Amino acid sequence: MASIILRSKISPSTVLKACSASLSTGAPSFAAETRDINKSICLKEAPLIKKEVGLMKREDIIQKQQHDEAMITIEKPSEVATFSGVPEEHIKGRRVRIFVPPKNAMQSGTDNIHQWSMQFDTRERWENPLMGWSSTGDPLSNVEVNFPNKDDAIAFCEKNGWAWFIDEKAPPKPMKPKSYGVNFSWNKRTRVSTK
Amino acid sequence: MISLKNIARLWQKGLVRNLQTSSALQHDALFVHRDTAEDNPDIKFEFSPENLKRVDAILAIYPEGHKRAAMIPLLDLAQRQYGWLPLSAMHKVAEILDLPRMRVYEVATFYTMFIRKPIGKYHLQVCTTTPCWLRGSDDILSTIKNHLKINVGDTTCDKLFSLSEVECLGACVNAPMVQINDDYYEDLTCDDMIEILDELKDGKRPRAGPRNGRYASEPLGQPTSLTSEPPGPGFGIRSDL
Amino acid sequence: MLRTAAQRALNGAFVSPKQLGVLVTRGAGDAKKPAQIEVFIDDKPVLVDPGTTVLQAAALVGVEIPRFCYHERLAVAGNCRMCLVEVEKSPKPVAACAMPVMKGWRIKTDSEMTKKAREGVMEFLLVNHPLDCPICDQGGECDLQDQSMAFGSDRSRFTDIDFSGKRAVEDKDIGPLIKTIMTRCIHCTRCIRFASEVAGIDDLGTTGRGADMQVGTYVEKFFLSELSGNVIDLCPVGALTSKPYAFTARPWEIRRTDSIDVLDAVGSNIVVCTRTGEVLRILPRTNEEVNEEWLSDKSRFAYDGLKRQRLVSPMVKVDGQLQPVDWETALIAIGKKIKSAGSDIGVIAGGMADAEALVALKDLINKLGSEDVCTENPFPVNGSGTDLRSSYLLNNTIASAEEADVVLLVGTNIRLEAPLLNARIRKGYVHNETEIGVIGPQVDLRYDYTHVGDDPCSIKDLENGNDTFAKCLKNAKKPLIIVGQDALNRPDGSGVLLAAQSLAALIQKNVQDPQWKVLNILHKVAGQVAALDVGYVPGYEKLKDNSKLKVIYLLGADEAIERSQFPSDCFIIYQGHHGDCGAAIADAVLPGAAYTEKQATYVNTEGRAQQTLVAVSPPGLAREDWKIIRALSEFVGQRLPYDNLDQIRCRLEEIAPHLTRYGNVESANYFSQALALALKESATVNKKPISVTQKSLEDFYMTDVISRASATMAKCVTAYKTQQCSKY
Repeated sequence: MASIILRSKISPSTVLKACSASLSTGAPSFAAETRDINKSICLKEAPLIKKEVGLMKREDIIQKQQHDEAMITIEKPSEVATFSGVPEEHIKGRRVRIFVPPKNAMQSGTDNIHQWSMQFDTRERWENPLMGWSSTGDPLSNVEVNFPNKDDAIAFCEKNGWAWFIDEKAPPKPMKPKSYGVNFSWNKRTRVSTK
Repeated sequence: MISLKNIARLWQKGLVRNLQTSSALQHDALFVHRDTAEDNPDIKFEFSPENLKRVDAILAIYPEGHKRAAMIPLLDLAQRQYGWLPLSAMHKVAEILDLPRMRVYEVATFYTMFIRKPIGKYHLQVCTTTPCWLRGSDDILSTIKNHLKINVGDTTCDKLFSLSEVECLGACVNAPMVQINDDYYEDLTCDDMIEILDELKDGKRPRAGPRNGRYASEPLGQPTSLTSEPPGPGFGIRSDL
Repeated sequence: MLRTAAQRALNGAFVSPKQLGVLVTRGAGDAKKPAQIEVFIDDKPVLVDPGTTVLQAAALVGVEIPRFCYHERLAVAGNCRMCLVEVEKSPKPVAACAMPVMKGWRIKTDSEMTKKAREGVMEFLLVNHPLDCPICDQGGECDLQDQSMAFGSDRSRFTDIDFSGKRAVEDKDIGPLIKTIMTRCIHCTRCIRFASEVAGIDDLGTTGRGADMQVGTYVEKFFLSELSGNVIDLCPVGALTSKPYAFTARPWEIRRTDSIDVLDAVGSNIVVCTRTGEVLRILPRTNEEVNEEWLSDKSRFAYDGLKRQRLVSPMVKVDGQLQPVDWETALIAIGKKIKSAGSDIGVIAGGMADAEALVALKDLINKLGSEDVCTENPFPVNGSGTDLRSSYLLNNTIASAEEADVVLLVGTNIRLEAPLLNARIRKGYVHNETEIGVIGPQVDLRYDYTHVGDDPCSIKDLENGNDTFAKCLKNAKKPLIIVGQDALNRPDGSGVLLAAQSLAALIQKNVQDPQWKVLNILHKVAGQVAALDVGYVPGYEKLKDNSKLKVIYLLGADEAIERSQFPSDCFIIYQGHHGDCGAAIADAVLPGAAYTEKQATYVNTEGRAQQTLVAVSPPGLAREDWKIIRALSEFVGQRLPYDNLDQIRCRLEEIAPHLTRYGNVESANYFSQALALALKESATVNKKPISVTQKSLEDFYMTDVISRASATMAKCVTAYKTQQCSKY
C-alpha cells in the first residue's frame, strides 16, 4: 500500500483506489480464503481512509493538489530491504522466481495451482550427520510466498529489493469437446478397441 | 480386533469361510495365464482343413473392417476342435483376425463357456440352481461324484469326464438335468444318471432329452392345453372384415 | 427439458424467436462454427459448443466434477461412475464425462442426489480396496484419498470384512519400471486406454469379469514401451507405481523444481522432485505445445544415473594418471597449456552442453584467436548449411504434428529418438486420420504407415512419382516432412537435405496456410540447436587428424570421441559431469554440473528456448559450466566480460535474442533461399539404404552419459532382452 501511495499523487480518489487494493499486500497467503478479490471487496468492511485526507475540506483538497503538483514525485517503490534484516548478500545475490505452481502429475486435483508463487534460487542442501535431517546454509531456502496475482508478487519482490524473473503462466488450452460416441465410429481410427 | 471367543462363535454358526491356501483350480477361476505342459505357446494350434472352410464362412458373415466380431464364433470353433481352448488357439484367432492378442484374451476370459484348461471328453455340467435344486439336483450331483469318484471341478483319470456345477440352463420344467457337451439330459433320476455315464464310458451316445418318457416339456400323458385342432384363418375376426 | 426451454423461449412475450439466434458465434463470417448451447451449472450459465460433455461445461465454469476414469487425453470410458451429477427433471443421475449437454439443461453438482451418488460410488470402491495407505506410495497424492475425503462418507458400513473379506488380486510383473499391486486397482482402465491409444501397445487389458476382473497382461509379459512410465501418473490409486521410486519419499516432504529434460531433443517440461539435496524422481509438467503431460521413460527414470560416475573434483594428469586436485591447481595448469597453445585450440561441444557454457567457451576461444568451435554431432554444412535456421529446426513445432494430414518421416526412428513427437503423430493418426510414410528402415512405430523406400532416392521418386503416397503427399493440405539425423549424417547428407528441401518446396505450393511449414529437421540431442544458433560448426571433422592442434576442449563430448582422432601430443581438457569416454581420454578434467544442477538455457529441436533450474547443487567440487569457463578465462589472461547469470544472459541475447525468450518459438523462414543455396551446391544422393542407429527399444535406454550411468536403464535393457527370448 505504501508503494502505491508514493508512486502517485496523493488525492482522495487515489487513496480510495489504493485502499480498495490494500487487501492484497504483504500477507503470505490469501489463496485459501479469498481467491476472488472482487468477492472480498464486497465484504461489509469499512474502507480504510486516512483521517487527514478524508476529513479535509474542499478548499484544502484543492490546495493540497496544487502543493503536490509543485513537488517532485520520485517513482520509487518503498525500500523495505534496508531495514528488513535480510543480509545484503541475500538481497543482492538472490534471484526470485515468480511462477504458477504446476499441477501434480500424479493427481487430478487442481486446488494448488490457482495462485502465483515466489521461490528463491536453490542453494546447497545436505544431510545433517546427526539426525539425517536436511541442513542448509541458506536462510531463504524455505521461503515460498503465495500471491493471488502476478503483480502482487512483483510488488513484493521490488519492495524487498530482490531481483526477480517471471515464468509466465501457460495460456489455457482451448477446450475441444470430447465425445463418447466416437469410440464407436464405424470406420474411423477413433473406434476404441479396449473397454 | 476379533477375539478368540468371537471367532469360535462365528465358526460354530458356520458363518466363517475356512481359509483356503490354494484357489480352486477350475477352468474359470484363474484369470491369469500360467504356462503348463499342456497349455503353453509352443504347442502349435492349427485349424483343421474342414474347420478352415468354416472359418471362412464365419468371417464372411461380418462386414469388412469389422471381422473382429467373428472372435467368439472362431474361439468356439477352436474349442470344439481341440476340446478346450489352449493359449495357442487364442493366438491363432488373433492372427486370423489381425488383432492384438490381448483382445482375444479379454474375450476368452470373460465367458465361462471358454474352457481354458484341459477338460475331459464329456463335460458334465449339473444345474444346481433353485428349480433343479428343489427337484433333487443334489442327489444327481452326489451320484455322479460317487460313481466317477471325482469332486466338482475335477476330471477323471481317464480324462473322460469333467464335472462342474453350473447356473440355470433354462430347462427348469425338466428339472433336474445335466448338460453333457451340447446335449441336455433332463428329468433325471439317479439311475438315469448312472445309465448315462455308463453309456458314455462305453463310447455310445445316450439319448438326449427327458428321461421319463415325455416329449420336450410337454406333460406326461396327454397335453393339458392346446388339446383341440388349431382354428383356421378368420378365427375370432368379424365377418365383415 | 428441451421442450420446456424452447417453449419458454418461444412464448414470445420476453424473447422473440430472432433472439434465439443470439446464442450464435462471435466470429463474423465464420459460417462453419455451430451455434453455442447455453446450459446452467449450479445456476451459472455458460455457453458451450454442441457436443461438449457436462464435465467439460462444468470445468469451463470452474466446477470440477470428481472422476477416476476420465482423462482429457484419453477416450471417454465412463466406467467409474464417480462423475454422476444430477440433471434437473431426470430421474437418474447422468455420467458427466460422457453425456453431451442439451440446450437449457440445469445441472446440479451439489444436490442431494449427486452427493448420494458420489458417496455410494466411493463406498463401493472402498469395499474392495485394501487398507494400504501407510505402505502405498501414492499416499498423499492419491485421487482416491482426496475424493473420499471430499466426497465420500465419513463412516464405513463394510461388515463383510468378518465374512468373505476383501478381494485380493495377484501382482503382475510388467517390467523393471512399474511396480504393480493390483489389489489396489479400481478398474478405471486408464492404463489400458493409454497403452492402446497413446503408446500404441495393446498389451494391457481386463481379464475376467465382475469381482474377479483383473487388469494386466494375462500372460507374463513386460509392458515395454518408451512411454510406459506415464501409466504411473495416470493410475489414480497406488496400483501402478514407480519401481525405482518405491518407498523413498512421501509427496509432502518433496521439494519440486520446474525444469527441462535434456536427454532428448524434445525439451519436455519436467518437475524435479528432491529432498535433502538428492533427486528422488522426475515427473512431467504440462506443456501443451511440447510434451502435453507425458514424459518418455528415459527422461523419467534415468535420474539415478545422476549419482553414479560423477566427476566431483578437478583432475590433472600426473605421471600418466589423472589425480584429483583443487580448482586453483587445475586452472593454473590448464591456463598455462592454453596460453602456450596460442590459437591452436579446438572445442568439441557434446549433446548436453547448455547455451551459456557454449557462449562462454566460444567467446573465450575466439578471444584466443581460434575459430575451431565444433559440435560432436554432425550436420551437413554444404548447401544451405547452418546459416539459415530453417534448415536445422523442427519448423512447424511439435504441437502441429497432430494436425497434419500427411507425414513423411525420412531416416528417423522417431519413436525412439523423440518419443513425445511420435506420440503426437500417433494422436494425429488416431484422431485426424493422418497418413504416414517412412523412408528408411521399416521400424516399429506403433501405428500403420506406408513404407515408401529404403534409400534417399525415394525422396526424388516421391517428387516425380505417381503412386498413392506421392499423390497423397502432393494433395495434402497440411503435410509434414520430418528428416532425422541418421539420414543427414551420411556422406551424402547434404544431398538428402537438398532432396527433402526441394520436395518440401514442391509440396508447400499446395498448402493454403502460409504459417504451415513443411520441412522439419529432428535432432537427437538437446544441445545441438543451441550450439548451431550460437555459431558452432556441426561435426568436428576438421579437428580430426589436425596435427596443428595443441589443445582440445571437450565440453561434455562423450559419444564418438576417441584418443586416436587427435594428435598424440595434444592436450585434452574435458569439462562435463560424468566420467565416461571423454574424461577417460582427457589430460585434465573439470567437473561440471548436470542439467538438474544448473540454471541453464537449452533450445529444443523446434527452436524453443527453455531453461532448467537448479534443483540440487552439484556434487563435490563441481561447478556450473559457464562459471568454470569464466574462471578459466582469468587464468588464461582473456577475462570474459560477464560475472553473473544476468550478464551472461545479456550476452546470449546479443548473439541470438531468442535464446532468452523462454517458452516461445521464433518461426524461421527463408526456405526458398535455403533451397537456392542448396541447389548451387547440387549435392547428390547415393543409393545406400538409410540405417538408423536406434533400431529397437534396447537402443533407446542408454544414449547419453546420464542414462548410461543409470542402473534403472540397465535393468530396462535387460528386461527388453529377456522379453525378446520369451515366447510372448
